[in-house]
Amino acid sequence: MAEEPILQVKDVVKTFGPVTALSGVSIDVYRGEIVCFLGPSGCGKTTLLRVIGGFYQQDRGDVYLDGKLINGVPPEKRDTVMFFQNYALFPHMNVYENVTYGLKVRKENKNSMKEKARSILSMIQLDGMEDRFPNQLSGGQQQRVALARALILNPKLLLLDEPLSNLDANLRAYMRDEIIKIREKLNLTIIFVTHDQDEAISIADKIAVMREGDIEQIGHPVNIYRYPASVYVADFIGRANFLDATVHSVSADNMLELKTPVGEIKINPPQNNFKPGEQAKAVIRPENIKVILDKSESDINILEAEVLKSTYLGAIVNYRVQIGEETMSVELRNPTEKELLSAGDKLYLKIPENIHLIKEEASEEAALKQAR
Amino acid sequence: MFKAGELALKKHKNSLLNIARNPMQQLLSLVIGVSLVLFIVIPIIYVLARSLGVAEGIITLEYYQNFFARSYYYRALSNSLLLAFSVTAIVVTLCFMYAYMVARMGKGLLPSILRAIAMIPLLAPPFIFSISLITLGGRRGLISMQLYELFGIEFSIYGWTGVILAQIIGLFPLGFMMLENVLRSMDLNLEEASSDMGAGQWRTLRAVTIPLVMPGILKAALLVFIKSIADFATPMVIGAGLPFLATDAYLLVVGQHNMEMAAVLATFLVLPTIIIFFIQNYVLADKTRTTISGQSSVSSQIRMNPSMKGVFTLSTTLSAILIVMAFAVIFWSAFVVIPGVNNTFTLDHFSTRTGWNAMTTSLQIAAVSALVVAFLGVIQAYLNVRMKVYGSKMMEYIALFGMGVPGTVVGIGYILSFNQPPIHLTGTMTIIIISMVFRHLGVGLEAGISKLHQIGISMEEASWDMGASKITTFFRVVLPLMGSSFMYGFIYTFMCAMTSISTAIFLVFPGTTLGAVYILQVAEQGAIARAAAMAVVLISIVAVCLFTLTRITSKTHLARL
Repeated sequence: MAEEPILQVKDVVKTFGPVTALSGVSIDVYRGEIVCFLGPSGCGKTTLLRVIGGFYQQDRGDVYLDGKLINGVPPEKRDTVMFFQNYALFPHMNVYENVTYGLKVRKENKNSMKEKARSILSMIQLDGMEDRFPNQLSGGQQQRVALARALILNPKLLLLDEPLSNLDANLRAYMRDEIIKIREKLNLTIIFVTHDQDEAISIADKIAVMREGDIEQIGHPVNIYRYPASVYVADFIGRANFLDATVHSVSADNMLELKTPVGEIKINPPQNNFKPGEQAKAVIRPENIKVILDKSESDINILEAEVLKSTYLGAIVNYRVQIGEETMSVELRNPTEKELLSAGDKLYLKIPENIHLIKEEASEEAALKQAR
Repeated sequence: MFKAGELALKKHKNSLLNIARNPMQQLLSLVIGVSLVLFIVIPIIYVLARSLGVAEGIITLEYYQNFFARSYYYRALSNSLLLAFSVTAIVVTLCFMYAYMVARMGKGLLPSILRAIAMIPLLAPPFIFSISLITLGGRRGLISMQLYELFGIEFSIYGWTGVILAQIIGLFPLGFMMLENVLRSMDLNLEEASSDMGAGQWRTLRAVTIPLVMPGILKAALLVFIKSIADFATPMVIGAGLPFLATDAYLLVVGQHNMEMAAVLATFLVLPTIIIFFIQNYVLADKTRTTISGQSSVSSQIRMNPSMKGVFTLSTTLSAILIVMAFAVIFWSAFVVIPGVNNTFTLDHFSTRTGWNAMTTSLQIAAVSALVVAFLGVIQAYLNVRMKVYGSKMMEYIALFGMGVPGTVVGIGYILSFNQPPIHLTGTMTIIIISMVFRHLGVGLEAGISKLHQIGISMEEASWDMGASKITTFFRVVLPLMGSSFMYGFIYTFMCAMTSISTAIFLVFPGTTLGAVYILQVAEQGAIARAAAMAVVLISIVAVCLFTLTRITSKTHLARL
């Protein structure tokens, strides 16, 4: 992309006493993107968001907004607006006063303030609520007021801190669509933080999976899901079975023959640059494994297994299965009567050919990190 | 209309049923209720009645006419009001900045030290600081002498300057505690949101922080106001004869035995309490703004811009220096022959038998009163919250009111009510203890009530469910769980009883005096060094007891409650 990123974070380090919250993070965000910082609690995602918003001053590294260095610029002088997890609505101001607070501070004239407030409130369907106080609003309405208060300033960057975490399932879905719609309408650049992978996958253009103060992998949700760069990422986004594998041979049509604890399997991974003898981890998603009841097909990659535990979830049935010394998770959608097995039943599993392989260095490094 | 009547009748019937069902509890609460009325309400009624001349069998406004006819008396009123308003304004302003600094510094050594400094005046009777001010700025004080020698300026701290300064130091902890509490409980995200949307920090302070903590500011102001107007000792020591209500009420009783005029002054003292009590319970009660929904991502520290940081740091430093200096001077004058003139170390000022006896008496009285308050507080809280006994709300109000009434008024009231049959108690230790108990019961009660609300009823229900009776449950489950509120009631009452003076000074009798009273009497006679020495003893006793008690509390299971 030739376009300049709207936000550049370069090697940012932030410590709190003995704790390193960010250990040299770099990321570029482009105009109009929705980027998500995803990770478990304590991975530094909120700290990074707060550094970008100006609430924390980084110890080292630079932050550029729209090409300008903004290190040390306080939040009130930054063209970013934060949407707080608890909304942070001013309880002593009504909806109108809350929404127009930022404009009032900027000494905007009364008429244009009114006009802007009207248009933003109608956009998020809160017209007629101007005189209510925050404690007279439902949770969803409070959230929309907080959103309006941020949007009315037309910031270069909208920062959302766990925007959906306080909502029930219905409101979550509604709000998710709302955020996507708003982005389209206003062509906003949005960064949001979450620990919920579904939220990240369904909203973001780019996901930055964070771990212990650094970004482990960044990319489109599809890529992150299909081609995780490490065991950590594969495990955090969706669920996965991991098999230790050694590349035995590479055939002319790029088929790899792998030696694994459960026997030989042949695969053709989408990112294929392996040589014979290399160590790798095969990432096998439970939902990609095909369950076969009778071994009539004479096919490759068929493994014999025994059900250890069966968990019925309605649309899905989950099996914990034993294959030789290994155990794996298998997920079956819309199981038929015959496919509902119980512990002790035998079954066959077909491992697909397009499974992803993670090079051993990457996974070793990850294991090392985890040990630390 | 009919329905409402029916409902009231039903409610009444229910409470009658309740009485029938739990005769023991009702009896107990009746005893507590009667004592509350007897020892809090009746004395004040006696004061009001006396001011209207009821003792002579007539009702007359003659004494009020006399009050307004003599400029000396109504100047006492205007002086007291002026003093209370200025001290309140200054203390609240200083404490706000101080508390803001401490609350926004997060955790660490510096905020802990600052907090400790703000609280140390609690260890001493508030008038003590007049003593250090006299040592520094009296006619022959250190600073005054220097000023005279260097610039030929004659400076004296006596009068308005001294009274205001001494009260600022003495009342600082009260304002600080209140304001730190509200500032700490405020959601920091609100300040961050404000600055995020472009507001500078002064604007954020004005538009967000101050409006949000306004109820706390008002509460702090009301408390400081009441305490300032009720303080009779500070003007007595350093007031240079300026008339003030509390001081003159005392002098009228002790010097001239003019009970009627003293009662009139006491009435003017108690009026603000009644008004403020009303404001607090009816006007401010619903104004508490709660922050809504969600957890906040806590950031303990907040950035301050240079101008704000400068102003706040300066004010906080000056306040801290003032307090530390006041304390240091007391210790210094206690241990040298004549401060500034002859700085030789000496222990002479400590050799006073009367003083040490007074300290021992204080210790005994404080311990007994504290124990009674702690127990009564827990029991009454339980009766109020769990048993919902008849008139519990009323009893709570009376107990709280008892805390607000100026000590001078209570003292005069006790003398008027209990110096003859049917209840003749003056001249005994009992009346001193009773006065301490009922002045502080409100604290034990409130601590107990909030603890009970916090515990919730499920644990008691579990105990009943497993077959324990209500009495067993109270002793085996409730009492242990309420340990922390018990300790709180004890510590608070102990400290106040050791340092309070305004009621006790009316009730001490020949041969028996209290520590704080002794210090005041000595200081009034001009024996500043002796007063300072005994103040050091008093402060040390309170500090040691406080330290031990909090240590016990935090080392035992109480800390986990």
